[in-house]
Amino acid sequence: MSEDMYANALKTALTEVRNICPEVTRSFIFNKEGKIIAETTQDTETSTEKAINSFQNLIEKAEIMGGINTFLVNGNKGMVQFSRINDVYLALSASKKADMAYIQSVARTIIPTVMKLLENIVSTSLKSVSPSQNMVAETLTGLFSGETAQVDNEILKEWSKNPNNAHIDEIEIETASGKTARCKVKAISEREFQGKGLIRIPEKIYRTLKVEKGEAVKVKPITREGK
Amino acid sequence: MSTKGKSEELFTNLRFNLENIRNREGIIGYILRNSKSATVDINDPTKIIDYAMLSGESLDIGDEASEIFQLGSINSVVIEGNDFKILSLVIEDQRLSIFMDRKVDHNKICKELNLTKHSQKPNLSSIQSSEENQEQTGIEVTS
Repeated sequence: MSEDMYANALKTALTEVRNICPEVTRSFIFNKEGKIIAETTQDTETSTEKAINSFQNLIEKAEIMGGINTFLVNGNKGMVQFSRINDVYLALSASKKADMAYIQSVARTIIPTVMKLLENIVSTSLKSVSPSQNMVAETLTGLFSGETAQVDNEILKEWSKNPNNAHIDEIEIETASGKTARCKVKAISEREFQGKGLIRIPEKIYRTLKVEKGEAVKVKPITREGK
Repeated sequence: MSTKGKSEELFTNLRFNLENIRNREGIIGYILRNSKSATVDINDPTKIIDYAMLSGESLDIGDEASEIFQLGSINSVVIEGNDFKILSLVIEDQRLSIFMDRKVDHNKICKELNLTKHSQKPNLSSIQSSEENQEQTGIEVTS
Protein backbone atom coordinates (compact mmCIF):
# COMPACT_ATOMS: atom_id res chain seq x y z
CA MET A 1 0.00 0.00 0.00
CA SER A 2 1.39 3.41 -0.92
CA GLU A 3 1.88 6.15 1.62
CA ASP A 4 -0.70 8.25 -0.22
CA MET A 5 -3.37 5.60 0.16
CA TYR A 6 -2.53 5.19 3.84
CA ALA A 7 -2.67 8.97 4.36
CA ASN A 8 -5.93 9.27 2.47
CA ALA A 9 -7.54 6.53 4.52
CA LEU A 10 -6.52 8.24 7.75
CA LYS A 11 -7.59 11.63 6.44
CA THR A 12 -11.00 10.18 5.68
CA ALA A 13 -11.12 8.80 9.21
CA LEU A 14 -10.28 12.23 10.63
CA THR A 15 -12.98 13.80 8.48
CA GLU A 16 -15.47 11.25 9.80
CA VAL A 17 -14.52 12.17 13.36
CA ARG A 18 -15.22 15.79 12.50
CA ASN A 19 -18.55 14.88 10.92
CA ILE A 20 -19.55 13.15 14.14
CA CYS A 21 -18.11 15.91 16.33
CA PRO A 22 -18.51 19.25 14.50
CA GLU A 23 -16.86 21.08 17.43
CA VAL A 24 -13.51 19.71 16.23
CA THR A 25 -11.62 22.62 14.67
CA ARG A 26 -8.38 20.95 13.66
CA SER A 27 -7.08 17.41 13.51
CA PHE A 28 -3.95 15.71 12.31
CA ILE A 29 -1.89 12.59 12.86
CA PHE A 30 1.89 12.53 13.03
CA ASN A 31 4.57 10.02 13.91
CA LYS A 32 7.27 10.13 16.59
CA GLU A 33 9.73 11.64 14.13
CA GLY A 34 7.35 14.55 13.60
CA LYS A 35 6.24 13.60 10.11
CA ILE A 36 2.62 14.48 9.39
CA ILE A 37 0.83 11.35 8.23
CA ALA A 38 -2.63 12.79 7.73
CA GLU A 39 -4.41 16.04 8.38
CA THR A 40 -7.78 17.49 7.60
CA THR A 41 -7.97 20.19 4.97
CA GLN A 42 -8.70 23.09 7.31
CA ASP A 43 -5.21 22.91 8.74
CA THR A 44 -2.46 25.30 7.81
CA GLU A 45 0.88 23.57 7.46
CA THR A 46 2.95 26.17 9.28
CA SER A 47 1.06 26.07 12.54
CA THR A 48 0.70 22.29 12.40
CA GLU A 49 4.45 21.84 12.11
CA LYS A 50 5.08 24.36 14.85
CA ALA A 51 2.71 22.49 17.14
CA ILE A 52 4.43 19.21 16.39
CA ASN A 53 7.87 20.68 17.09
CA SER A 54 6.69 21.96 20.46
CA PHE A 55 5.14 18.62 21.30
CA GLN A 56 8.31 16.76 20.35
CA ASN A 57 10.26 18.89 22.83
CA LEU A 58 7.82 17.80 25.48
CA ILE A 59 8.15 14.13 24.51
CA GLU A 60 11.90 14.34 25.22
CA LYS A 61 11.37 15.90 28.64
CA ALA A 62 8.60 13.44 29.48
CA GLU A 63 10.77 10.33 29.40
CA ILE A 64 10.85 10.56 33.19
CA MET A 65 7.11 9.79 33.24
CA GLY A 66 7.43 6.81 30.91
CA GLY A 67 6.50 8.72 27.78
CA ILE A 68 3.37 10.69 26.99
CA ASN A 69 -0.02 9.14 26.45
CA THR A 70 -2.02 12.37 26.39
CA PHE A 71 -1.32 16.08 26.53
CA LEU A 72 -4.34 18.31 27.05
CA VAL A 73 -4.34 22.10 27.02
CA ASN A 74 -7.55 23.69 28.22
CA GLY A 75 -8.02 27.35 27.38
CA ASN A 76 -10.89 29.76 27.89
CA LYS A 77 -11.69 29.69 24.15
CA GLY A 78 -10.99 26.07 23.30
CA MET A 79 -8.86 23.04 23.92
CA VAL A 80 -6.37 20.79 22.19
CA GLN A 81 -5.42 17.25 23.00
CA PHE A 82 -2.51 15.21 21.70
CA SER A 83 -2.93 11.50 22.34
CA ARG A 84 -0.85 8.51 21.44
CA ILE A 85 -2.44 5.81 19.33
CA ASN A 86 -0.06 2.89 18.87
CA ASP A 87 3.04 4.41 17.25
CA VAL A 88 1.50 7.71 16.17
CA TYR A 89 0.05 10.80 17.78
CA LEU A 90 -3.38 12.24 17.14
CA ALA A 91 -3.91 15.97 17.66
CA LEU A 92 -7.44 17.29 18.00
CA SER A 93 -8.47 20.82 18.82
CA ALA A 94 -12.01 21.80 19.58
CA SER A 95 -14.11 24.74 20.64
CA LYS A 96 -14.77 25.45 24.30
CA LYS A 97 -18.27 23.95 24.26
CA ALA A 98 -17.00 20.60 23.00
CA ASP A 99 -17.00 17.49 25.14
CA MET A 100 -13.38 16.44 24.67
CA ALA A 101 -13.95 13.12 26.43
CA TYR A 102 -16.65 12.26 23.88
CA ILE A 103 -14.52 13.43 20.94
CA GLN A 104 -11.62 11.36 22.19
CA SER A 105 -13.77 8.27 22.62
CA VAL A 106 -15.01 8.64 19.02
CA ALA A 107 -11.54 9.30 17.64
CA ARG A 108 -9.94 6.54 19.66
CA THR A 109 -12.47 4.11 18.23
CA ILE A 110 -12.35 5.16 14.59
CA ILE A 111 -8.66 5.90 14.10
CA PRO A 112 -7.22 2.69 15.61
CA THR A 113 -9.81 0.64 13.72
CA VAL A 114 -8.78 2.20 10.44
CA MET A 115 -5.11 1.79 11.32
CA LYS A 116 -5.59 -1.85 12.22
CA LEU A 117 -7.45 -2.40 8.97
CA LEU A 118 -4.66 -0.74 7.01
CA GLU A 119 -2.03 -2.81 8.83
CA ASN A 120 -3.90 -5.99 7.96
CA ILE A 121 -4.03 -4.95 4.32
CA VAL A 122 -0.29 -4.24 4.39
CA SER A 123 0.36 -7.56 6.15
CA THR A 124 -1.12 -9.46 3.28
CA SER A 125 1.41 -7.91 0.93
CA LEU A 126 4.32 -8.90 3.17
CA LYS A 127 5.97 -12.28 3.04
CA SER A 128 8.60 -14.02 5.01
CA VAL A 129 11.68 -15.00 3.04
CA SER A 130 13.20 -17.30 5.60
CA PRO A 131 12.00 -19.45 8.50
CA SER A 132 11.92 -17.82 11.89
CA GLN A 133 15.05 -17.96 13.97
CA ASN A 134 15.39 -18.16 17.75
CA MET A 135 17.29 -15.28 19.32
CA VAL A 136 17.87 -13.94 22.80
CA ALA A 137 16.17 -10.66 23.65
CA GLU A 138 18.27 -7.74 24.81
CA THR A 139 16.97 -4.23 25.38
CA LEU A 140 18.26 -1.41 23.23
CA THR A 141 18.23 1.86 25.09
CA GLY A 142 19.59 5.31 24.51
CA LEU A 143 18.64 8.57 22.92
CA PHE A 144 19.08 7.27 19.39
CA SER A 145 17.71 3.78 19.90
CA GLY A 146 14.77 4.71 17.67
CA GLU A 147 12.52 1.92 16.46
CA THR A 148 15.06 -0.27 14.69
CA ALA A 149 16.11 -3.61 16.17
CA GLN A 150 19.63 -4.94 15.79
CA VAL A 151 20.82 -8.47 14.97
CA ASP A 152 24.17 -9.93 13.95
CA ASN A 153 25.36 -8.84 10.53
CA GLU A 154 25.99 -12.51 9.60
CA ILE A 155 22.31 -13.25 10.12
CA LEU A 156 21.31 -10.32 7.93
CA LYS A 157 23.64 -11.61 5.21
CA GLU A 158 22.19 -15.10 5.54
CA TRP A 159 18.66 -13.74 5.24
CA SER A 160 19.60 -11.77 2.15
CA LYS A 161 20.39 -15.04 0.37
CA ASN A 162 16.75 -15.39 -0.63
CA PRO A 163 15.44 -16.21 -4.12
CA ASN A 164 15.01 -12.52 -4.97
CA ASN A 165 18.24 -11.41 -3.27
CA ALA A 166 16.09 -8.86 -1.48
CA HIS A 167 17.81 -6.81 1.20
CA ILE A 168 16.20 -7.44 4.57
CA ASP A 169 15.38 -4.33 6.52
CA GLU A 170 12.27 -5.48 8.33
CA ILE A 171 11.53 -8.28 10.78
CA GLU A 172 8.73 -9.72 12.84
CA ILE A 173 9.47 -10.61 16.45
CA GLU A 174 7.31 -13.16 18.25
CA THR A 175 7.51 -13.84 21.97
CA ALA A 176 6.82 -17.14 23.71
CA SER A 177 3.45 -15.72 24.79
CA GLY A 178 2.51 -15.11 21.15
CA LYS A 179 2.88 -11.32 21.11
CA THR A 180 4.27 -10.02 17.85
CA ALA A 181 5.78 -6.77 16.68
CA ARG A 182 7.17 -5.68 13.36
CA CYS A 183 10.06 -3.27 13.07
CA LYS A 184 13.06 -2.25 11.02
CA VAL A 185 16.30 -4.11 11.50
CA LYS A 186 19.99 -3.40 11.08
CA ALA A 187 23.30 -4.95 12.10
CA ILE A 188 24.51 -4.77 15.69
CA SER A 189 27.08 -2.00 15.83
CA GLU A 190 28.56 -2.53 19.29
CA ARG A 191 31.15 -5.31 19.42
CA GLU A 192 30.22 -6.50 22.91
CA PHE A 193 26.81 -7.61 21.64
CA GLN A 194 27.99 -9.29 18.44
CA GLY A 195 28.11 -13.05 17.86
CA LYS A 196 25.94 -13.96 20.83
CA GLY A 197 22.71 -14.71 19.01
CA LEU A 198 21.13 -11.57 20.45
CA ILE A 199 18.41 -9.38 19.11
CA ARG A 200 18.61 -5.87 20.56
CA ILE A 201 15.05 -4.62 20.73
CA PRO A 202 14.30 -0.88 21.13
CA GLU A 203 12.85 -0.10 24.54
CA LYS A 204 9.44 0.90 23.23
CA ILE A 205 8.94 -2.37 21.32
CA TYR A 206 10.43 -4.21 24.30
CA ARG A 207 7.64 -2.81 26.44
CA THR A 208 4.97 -3.56 23.83
CA LEU A 209 6.07 -7.18 23.63
CA LYS A 210 6.43 -7.41 27.42
CA VAL A 211 9.55 -9.44 26.83
CA GLU A 212 12.16 -10.15 29.52
CA LYS A 213 15.89 -9.74 29.07
CA GLY A 214 17.41 -13.10 28.08
CA GLU A 215 14.06 -14.46 26.87
CA ALA A 216 14.08 -16.46 23.66
CA VAL A 217 12.09 -14.88 20.84
CA LYS A 218 11.38 -15.93 17.28
CA VAL A 219 12.61 -13.52 14.63
CA LYS A 220 11.39 -13.69 11.06
CA PRO A 221 12.82 -11.59 8.20
CA ILE A 222 10.22 -9.92 6.03
CA THR A 223 10.27 -8.49 2.57
CA ARG A 224 7.53 -6.75 0.71
CA GLU A 225 5.84 -8.36 -2.27
CA GLY A 226 7.48 -7.33 -5.50
CA LYS A 227 10.87 -6.59 -3.92
CA MET B 1 -4.14 45.58 49.56
CA SER B 2 -1.11 46.07 47.26
CA THR B 3 -0.53 43.77 44.29
CA LYS B 4 2.50 42.36 46.02
CA GLY B 5 0.35 41.65 49.04
CA LYS B 6 -2.35 40.02 46.93
CA SER B 7 0.21 37.86 45.16
CA GLU B 8 1.68 36.77 48.48
CA GLU B 9 -1.78 36.07 49.84
CA LEU B 10 -2.65 33.97 46.80
CA PHE B 11 0.66 32.12 47.10
CA THR B 12 -0.06 31.40 50.77
CA ASN B 13 -3.63 30.29 50.06
CA LEU B 14 -2.53 28.03 47.22
CA ARG B 15 0.19 26.57 49.39
CA PHE B 16 -2.33 25.87 52.11
CA ASN B 17 -4.66 24.12 49.65
CA LEU B 18 -1.75 22.22 48.14
CA GLU B 19 -0.68 20.97 51.55
CA ASN B 20 -4.15 19.45 51.99
CA ILE B 21 -4.05 17.93 48.52
CA ARG B 22 -0.48 16.73 49.08
CA ASN B 23 -1.56 14.36 51.85
CA ARG B 24 -4.03 12.53 49.63
CA GLU B 25 -3.40 9.08 48.27
CA GLY B 26 -1.68 9.05 44.90
CA ILE B 27 -0.21 12.57 45.08
CA ILE B 28 3.49 12.46 44.28
CA GLY B 29 4.22 16.12 44.94
CA TYR B 30 3.89 19.65 43.66
CA ILE B 31 5.82 22.68 42.48
CA LEU B 32 4.40 26.14 43.11
CA ARG B 33 6.23 29.20 41.90
CA ASN B 34 5.84 32.85 41.05
CA SER B 35 8.34 35.50 40.06
CA LYS B 36 9.76 35.71 43.57
CA SER B 37 9.20 32.42 45.36
CA ALA B 38 8.98 28.71 44.75
CA THR B 39 7.85 25.82 46.88
CA VAL B 40 8.75 22.28 45.89
CA ASP B 41 7.45 19.21 47.67
CA ILE B 42 8.24 15.96 45.84
CA ASN B 43 8.37 12.40 47.20
CA ASP B 44 11.71 11.65 45.58
CA PRO B 45 14.11 14.59 46.03
CA THR B 46 16.51 13.18 43.42
CA LYS B 47 13.89 13.88 40.77
CA ILE B 48 13.23 17.51 41.66
CA ILE B 49 15.21 18.93 38.74
CA ASP B 50 13.57 16.61 36.20
CA TYR B 51 10.14 17.40 37.59
CA ALA B 52 10.83 21.13 37.63
CA MET B 53 11.95 21.04 33.99
CA LEU B 54 8.88 19.06 33.02
CA SER B 55 6.63 21.44 34.92
CA GLY B 56 8.12 24.49 33.18
CA GLU B 57 8.05 22.81 29.79
CA SER B 58 4.41 21.73 30.14
CA LEU B 59 3.25 25.29 30.78
CA ASP B 60 5.52 26.80 28.11
CA ILE B 61 4.29 24.34 25.51
CA GLY B 62 0.77 24.90 26.76
CA ASP B 63 1.29 28.62 26.00
CA GLU B 64 2.61 27.81 22.52
CA ALA B 65 -0.28 25.43 21.84
CA SER B 66 -2.70 28.07 23.01
CA GLU B 67 -1.26 30.55 20.54
CA ILE B 68 -1.20 28.07 17.64
CA PHE B 69 -4.69 26.72 18.21
CA GLN B 70 -6.11 30.03 19.47
CA LEU B 71 -7.27 28.61 22.78
CA GLY B 72 -7.22 31.89 24.71
CA SER B 73 -5.71 32.04 28.17
CA ILE B 74 -4.79 28.69 29.66
CA ASN B 75 -6.95 27.19 32.38
CA SER B 76 -5.06 23.96 32.75
CA VAL B 77 -2.54 21.64 31.14
CA VAL B 78 -2.67 17.92 31.78
CA ILE B 79 0.05 15.50 30.72
CA GLU B 80 -0.63 11.83 31.23
CA GLY B 81 2.35 9.51 31.00
CA ASN B 82 2.69 5.78 31.38
CA ASP B 83 3.87 6.16 34.97
CA PHE B 84 2.10 9.24 36.32
CA LYS B 85 0.36 12.44 35.28
CA ILE B 86 0.80 16.17 35.83
CA LEU B 87 -1.80 18.84 36.28
CA SER B 88 -0.39 22.31 35.63
CA LEU B 89 -2.29 25.51 36.29
CA VAL B 90 -1.67 29.21 35.91
CA ILE B 91 -3.52 31.09 38.63
CA GLU B 92 -2.88 34.84 38.35
CA ASP B 93 0.90 35.13 38.59
CA GLN B 94 1.30 31.70 40.19
CA ARG B 95 2.34 28.68 38.14
CA LEU B 96 1.88 25.30 39.72
CA SER B 97 2.20 21.67 38.78
CA ILE B 98 0.87 18.74 40.74
CA PHE B 99 2.32 15.30 40.08
CA MET B 100 0.03 12.37 40.76
CA ASP B 101 -0.74 8.75 40.01
CA ARG B 102 -2.81 8.19 36.91
CA LYS B 103 -5.83 7.04 38.92
CA VAL B 104 -6.18 10.35 40.79
CA ASP B 105 -9.07 12.55 39.60
CA HIS B 106 -7.20 15.66 38.39
CA ASN B 107 -10.45 17.45 37.46
CA LYS B 108 -11.50 17.46 41.11
CA ILE B 109 -8.15 18.94 42.15
CA CYS B 110 -8.34 21.47 39.34
CA LYS B 111 -11.74 22.68 40.55
CA GLU B 112 -10.54 22.93 44.16
CA LEU B 113 -7.52 25.01 43.19
CA ASN B 114 -9.50 27.28 40.91
CA LEU B 115 -11.68 28.18 43.89
CA THR B 116 -8.57 29.76 45.39
CA LYS B 117 -8.32 31.92 42.29
CA HIS B 118 -11.91 33.10 42.53
CA SER B 119 -11.44 34.11 46.15
CA GLN B 120 -8.93 36.74 44.93
CA LYS B 121 -9.61 40.07 43.28
CA PRO B 122 -6.60 40.52 41.04
CA ASN B 123 -5.36 43.70 39.43
CA LEU B 124 -3.57 42.43 36.35
CA SER B 125 -1.86 45.68 35.40
CA SER B 126 -0.38 45.94 38.87
CA ILE B 127 0.80 42.32 38.68
CA GLN B 128 2.74 43.13 35.50
CA SER B 129 4.27 46.12 37.20
CA SER B 130 5.15 43.97 40.19
CA GLU B 131 6.83 41.40 37.94
CA GLU B 132 8.90 44.10 36.32
CA ASN B 133 10.25 45.07 39.70
CA GLN B 134 11.37 41.63 40.70
CA GLU B 135 13.09 41.27 43.99
CA GLN B 136 15.23 38.49 45.35
CA THR B 137 13.87 35.06 44.52
CA GLY B 138 13.22 32.63 47.37
CA ILE B 139 13.00 28.89 46.81
CA GLU B 140 11.80 26.46 49.42
CA VAL B 141 12.25 22.77 48.91
CA THR B 142 10.46 20.17 50.96
CA SER B 143 10.81 16.44 50.56
